Amino acid sequence: MQDGANPAVTTNAATEPCAVAGHNAVGKRAGIPEEADRRRWKFSELLVERDVRARWEKVRKYFFLRESTYDMSNRCNLRCDGCYYYEGEKQFAAENGDAGAWRALMRTEKARGITYVVLAGAEPSLVPGLLEVCFAEMPLGCIATNGVRRIEPAVGYKIHISVWGNDATSFRVRKAGDLLKRQIENYRDDPRAVFVYTFTRENVDEAAAVVDMLAAANCRVTFNMFSSPVGYAGPLRHDGASLVRTREAMAEMMSRHPRLVLFSPYSAVAHTHALGLHDLYRCSYPRMNASTDLGLGRSFRQFRTDLSWDRDAACCVPDTDCADCRHYAAGSAVVTARLYRHVTDPWTFRSWLDYVDTYLAVWVMGYEKGENLCAEMISPPGCEETVKG
Amino acid sequence: MPESNETRERILRIAEIIIEELKLEEITPESFDPDMDLVGELGVDSMDLATVALVLQDEYGVFIDEDDYPKLKTIRMIAEYLQSRLQGGKD
Repeated sequence: MQDGANPAVTTNAATEPCAVAGHNAVGKRAGIPEEADRRRWKFSELLVERDVRARWEKVRKYFFLRESTYDMSNRCNLRCDGCYYYEGEKQFAAENGDAGAWRALMRTEKARGITYVVLAGAEPSLVPGLLEVCFAEMPLGCIATNGVRRIEPAVGYKIHISVWGNDATSFRVRKAGDLLKRQIENYRDDPRAVFVYTFTRENVDEAAAVVDMLAAANCRVTFNMFSSPVGYAGPLRHDGASLVRTREAMAEMMSRHPRLVLFSPYSAVAHTHALGLHDLYRCSYPRMNASTDLGLGRSFRQFRTDLSWDRDAACCVPDTDCADCRHYAAGSAVVTARLYRHVTDPWTFRSWLDYVDTYLAVWVMGYEKGENLCAEMISPPGCEETVKG
Repeated sequence: MPESNETRERILRIAEIIIEELKLEEITPESFDPDMDLVGELGVDSMDLATVALVLQDEYGVFIDEDDYPKLKTIRMIAEYLQSRLQGGKD
């Protein structure tokens, strides 16, 4: 198998972290007035404006969130091309279906400071009893599901329903007929539900019709980026052109459905940049971060179905090719953790606040997203990349 | 060696900032143990620490590199870090 390197996106990150071939480096960051980019801003100055201060106070209440992730089942009722779960060793872990063992694990997790659980792989809806056990012990969390089977309302976690294109594409990639229809039937008007449209290289042009359909059913939507599993070089993997088209599609959807599309201009920049999240922000998950002093490097664990975990493999999407990772779950933690880098000027800080506001609305029950504070697509800190190649 | 008045004042000011920023209750700058492990014992996480570092940066006019956050384990260590940065000149 090839290493999955994408020839269309080349970087020289070692010497110039954000100079990207195929993009026009213009010597200043896109979206920021030159005079603002030149001066040094104090943090307190960035908080002077009332709307910014209010948003900062709103999001910082959630800084207590500390996540870990848990594979609930090694079975799935779909088998999708490019599925990260069925890569690597974790798929072979035995399934522990013992409710008592899961209850004990949740209590241990709480005791070591975990406040938020992500229940995922392969398909959590197939083990409804375990979901109830987890929710009884840990009140904040999210379930990543394909949406084929409805999860009982008593489980009050956010529910992320994966959407990979229109029904024809779903049938081809996921071998599932009428999938979107079934997903909407199961989760229409459900306050837990967020539909997660994963952009691949092949489905960018389908997004508008799918999001329109979801919006017509009053379903909230956010966006994910296909991030190749290690060794994957297939047709779903993004290239430079598909990243640009995806960013344009995201902007169009935000404009078309501002109430139901949970996203921000900076979210679009961060996830469609030619560089992946690690090169842009330095990933803080244990797999890419040796430090155990602070944050995710200290507390994050990724449990397999047999309740074991391995620090060397621990991240929110194990067996993803880190160089190609633009995954929404990864960004939610990695971009948010880089507060420090985003206090450079009002535009960058507002963009970071929008990003965090978006991530909280997607992941936390009861959190409502505010209007985006920065309409511009600004470049990530330290980057001189223009928005379009 | 006994700490100087300047160090003592700085320790109290850092404690005050931490209490205010992290909205800690039932603790005062005077009762805050300057050698308490902020992460291990108080449960301060990276986002909390980043917030405190930004406020300290404003207050003292020094640059605190994010790679240095793990060094800021106690109030006393923060005070020493700031002292070394101040001696090195303001950023």
